[in-house]
Amino acid sequence: MTELPWLYAGLLAYALATVVAMVGIGRLSSAVAATAPSLAAAGISESQRNNERLVLALMTAGVVLLVVTLADRWVRIGHGPFVNLFELLISQLFSLGLVYTIAYWRIPVLRTTAVVVLPLMWVLGVWVLALEPSDSVFPPTYHNPWLWAHVGFGKFFLAFSLIGTGLAGVILLRGRPFFRRLFSHLPNDVILDKLAWRFMLLALVFDSLMLIAGAVWAQDAWGRYWAWDALETSSFLNWLLLGAAIHARTTYKVPIRLGAILIISVFVFAFVTYFGTPFYSEAAHKGVI
Amino acid sequence: MLLLAIGAALSYDNPADTSIWVLVVPMLLLAVNLIAAIISNPRINRRGGLLVFHLGLLGIVLLAAIGRLSHMEGRVEIVTGSEFTRESLSDVRSGPLHNGALDQVRFVQGPFTVEYRARMMRGLTHSYVAIPDSEGGWRELVVGDDRPLLLEGYRFYTTFNKGFAPILSWIADDGRPVETGAVHMPSYPLFDFKQSNSWTPQGGEEIKFWLQLETGLTDKEAWVLDGRNATGTLVVNVAGERTELLPGQSVEMPGGTLRYEQLSTWMGYKLFYDPTLQWMFLTAFMTVVGLGVHFWRKLTTEPLGLDDKQQAKRRKIAQDSTAVSRAKTVQES
Ligand code: HEM
Repeated sequence: MTELPWLYAGLLAYALATVVAMVGIGRLSSAVAATAPSLAAAGISESQRNNERLVLALMTAGVVLLVVTLADRWVRIGHGPFVNLFELLISQLFSLGLVYTIAYWRIPVLRTTAVVVLPLMWVLGVWVLALEPSDSVFPPTYHNPWLWAHVGFGKFFLAFSLIGTGLAGVILLRGRPFFRRLFSHLPNDVILDKLAWRFMLLALVFDSLMLIAGAVWAQDAWGRYWAWDALETSSFLNWLLLGAAIHARTTYKVPIRLGAILIISVFVFAFVTYFGTPFYSEAAHKGVI
Repeated sequence: MLLLAIGAALSYDNPADTSIWVLVVPMLLLAVNLIAAIISNPRINRRGGLLVFHLGLLGIVLLAAIGRLSHMEGRVEIVTGSEFTRESLSDVRSGPLHNGALDQVRFVQGPFTVEYRARMMRGLTHSYVAIPDSEGGWRELVVGDDRPLLLEGYRFYTTFNKGFAPILSWIADDGRPVETGAVHMPSYPLFDFKQSNSWTPQGGEEIKFWLQLETGLTDKEAWVLDGRNATGTLVVNVAGERTELLPGQSVEMPGGTLRYEQLSTWMGYKLFYDPTLQWMFLTAFMTVVGLGVHFWRKLTTEPLGLDDKQQAKRRKIAQDSTAVSRAKTVQES
C-alpha cells in the first residue's frame, strides 16, 4: 500500500488547516473586540491575512497530497477510486477539499465557514483511517463513460451542499453569544443566508445531473434506468427534500434560522445517502455487478 | 411530496410486489399541482428557464407513466447456434399498452467468452450474435455488459447467468422420429459443483445425468470461460451403473438409445423494452438546462451585496446597532 503515507500526510495537512483556521478566527474576534469598531470597519488585519493564506496553503497541500494518494493507488491497482468505501472516501476527501479550497480562495466571506466545514471533512478523515485499505476489483459494468459524469456531478452536488452547510452552521452558531462575538466580523445573516441558498441551488442542479447520469448508466449496466434500489430511493428522497427546501424558502419565506436547519438536513441526508446506504444494500452500487 | 416520499420508501427494494398506485397517486397529485402552478403562477410562467424546468418535470412524470404502460421485460436463455424465439422468453412482464414488434426480432446466438480474474471475479463478457442484414445474409455483432443488443427497440443485455448445454438425442425403440434437444445445465461457474439435470424424452423415462467439465476454471489466477475450449463428459446412471459418455457416444437404455451429440453453451439475456427512453433522457436534460438557465439569470441579475464598500457599510450598521442595543441593555439594567 504505497499510497498510505501520502494519505496520512494529506489528512495531516487538512488537520493543520483546521487548527490554524480556528486559531485565526479566535484571534480575529479578540482583535475586533479590543479595537472595535475602527479596525473592524477598516477591514481585515495583516495577521489575519497571513492566517488565511496559511489555511489556504495547508488545504492546497492536503488536496495535492490526496491527488498523489489517488494516483499512486490508481497506478498500482489499475483502476480509479470508484469501488470500495476506502477509496470512495479518499476520493470525496479530495474533491470536497478541492471545491472548498477554490471557494475559500475566491469568496472571502466563506473563509469563516472553515470552522464548520473542516471538522465535517474530518468525520470522513477519521473514518478512512478506521477502514481496511484493501484493493478493489473493477466491475465489468464500470467500463462506461457515464461513470465520469455520474461520479463528477455527484461530487459537485456534495461539495456545494457542504459549503451551504458551512454557512448554515455559521448562522446557527451565531445564535450563541460566544460565537456571535467570534463571527462579528462577518456580514449579517441575510447575506450569509442568501449565499448559502445559492450554493443549494447549484447543489440541486448537480444533484439532478447526477441522477440523470446515474439513470442512463443504470440502463446500460443493469438494463433498467430506475428500480427503487436502496441508493436510488435514498437519492430520490434526497432530491425531493432539496427541492422542497428550496420551495419552502422561496415560496414561504421561512425564517433564516429554520432555513439553515433545512440546509443542514439536506446535507445530513446526502451524507447518509452517500456513505450510509451502501451498508444496508447488498444490491447495486455495492460489489461487483 | 410527502405522499410521494412515502410511496418511494414503500417501493424501496421491492418494486415488483409493491402496488404501483403508491407511486402513481402521489405522482398524479403532484402533476395536477404542477400544472396548476405552471398556469397560475406568473413567477413560473413568465420566466423561461423556470417554465422549461417545470414543464420538464411534468414531462418526466408523464413519460414515466407512458413507459410503464408500454414497457416489456423478460429473460431468455439461448443456446449457441440457435435463433431467438419469442416462446423461449420467461418471467415476462409487460404494460397493458405494450405493442412493440417483438415478432420481427431475429438473431442467432454465437459463442461467447467471459473473463475472470483471480478469486473468480467476473470481468468483461463478449457475446457474438448474428443479425440479418439487408442483403439476406447475416452480420456479426459483439455485445456484452454495458452494450446491449438493440433490435426493434428491444434491448438484450447479457447477464451473469450462462452455462453449458449438452445436446442430446433420443432414438426410441418403438420407431418414433429421433428427438434432439439441448439441456441447459445450471449457471456456470456459479454452480460448478452441481452440474446435474434430467431429461424426459417423449415415450421414455426420466434420464438423470451430470456433466464433468474441463474448462480451465481456477480461482488462483485469471482465466477465460470459453465454451469452444471446454470439454464435458456426460455421466448417466443406467440401471444403477455409472456410464460416461463423450460427444458422439451413446448408451442403450430402457425404451431407446441416448446419444450425446455435442457440448454447447447457453447465454442468459435480460430483455428490456421502453419506447420512452430517448425522450426521457432528452426531457430530463432540457429540464436541467432550464434550471441552469434560471439560476444563471438569478445569479447574474440579483446582487448579493458583498462588494467591499457595501460590506463595510453593513458592518458599520451592524456594529452601530449592536452598540445601540448594548447601550439599551446598560440603560435597562
Ligand atoms: C438511477 C440510477 C442511479 C442513482 C440514483 C445513483 C445514485 C448515486 C448516489 C446517490 C451516489 C453517491 C453515493 C456514493 O458515493 O457512494 C452514487 C455514487 C456512485 N454510483 Fe450511482 N447511481 C445510479 C446508477 C449508478 C450505476 C448504474 C453505476 C455503475 C454501474 C453507479 C456507480 C456509482 C459509483 C461508482 C459511485 C461512487 C461515486 C463516488 O463517490 O466516487 N451508479 N450513485
